[in-house]
Amino acid sequence: MAASVEITGAEASERIERHKGIDRLFHWTTAVAVLTLMGTGLLPVVGVKFEWIKIHWIAGVVLAALVLFHLVRAVFWQSLRAVWISARDVGARRGGKYSIAQKLMHHAMALMVLGAVGTGVVMLAKVDTPFWKRNPYLLSADTWGTLYVIHGLAALSAVTLVMIHVYFGLIPENRMYLRAMIRGWITRQELVTRHDPERWPGKKNP
Amino acid sequence: MEFVRVSHDAWGQQVLEGVSWHLLPYAVALGAVVIIGHAVYRLVRGKHGA
Repeated sequence: MAASVEITGAEASERIERHKGIDRLFHWTTAVAVLTLMGTGLLPVVGVKFEWIKIHWIAGVVLAALVLFHLVRAVFWQSLRAVWISARDVGARRGGKYSIAQKLMHHAMALMVLGAVGTGVVMLAKVDTPFWKRNPYLLSADTWGTLYVIHGLAALSAVTLVMIHVYFGLIPENRMYLRAMIRGWITRQELVTRHDPERWPGKKNP
Repeated sequence: MEFVRVSHDAWGQQVLEGVSWHLLPYAVALGAVVIIGHAVYRLVRGKHGA
């Protein structure tokens, strides 16, 4: 993608903080939890049989804790406006901190994870753990069925969304975002090329 | 195509079991369509020097 704004000298390569270490840690632990849940939930469906339930519910509890952490951090420490889709995003060549595509992916992932975690937390009542004994009669059969449908739909959408997310994370024009999610920064040149500095001026990477 | 799995309880009533796993290949196909579609778009855009 051609740069619309060229800056020169040392300023171009100045490092701008995009993701703090705590947010990168959140992202990658969430990725491990989601992939573990997908593997343990879907491999038995395609015929790979193993003792999956214990790994699945533990990874689910980890994901629920991560979601809770992210919700609290997003509300109290981050700017919700950064992920809010506004009229300015539609048709804009350069977005704020996140492009409209990144916001849509975030919201689709959020919906999928909340659907899976919200139903999964209730489904914990159906497994024996060191902390409680299973109680399959907590809800009616119809209600359990509805929860399983929502949980399954979340699992299916996870497959589609993870495929798309990984693809867009790996293509060359987005490599800077992959670097930012690993090392935390993009350059000033990358910022002005892909982002509107009025909406996201960026701060120097510490 | 079935969208949900159902079974029958001891009284012969239908019980909802969950989403149909026959939908799994469609979820994979949807992801593949988006990826291939975008890859083709990149190729065409690149050829036209955009």
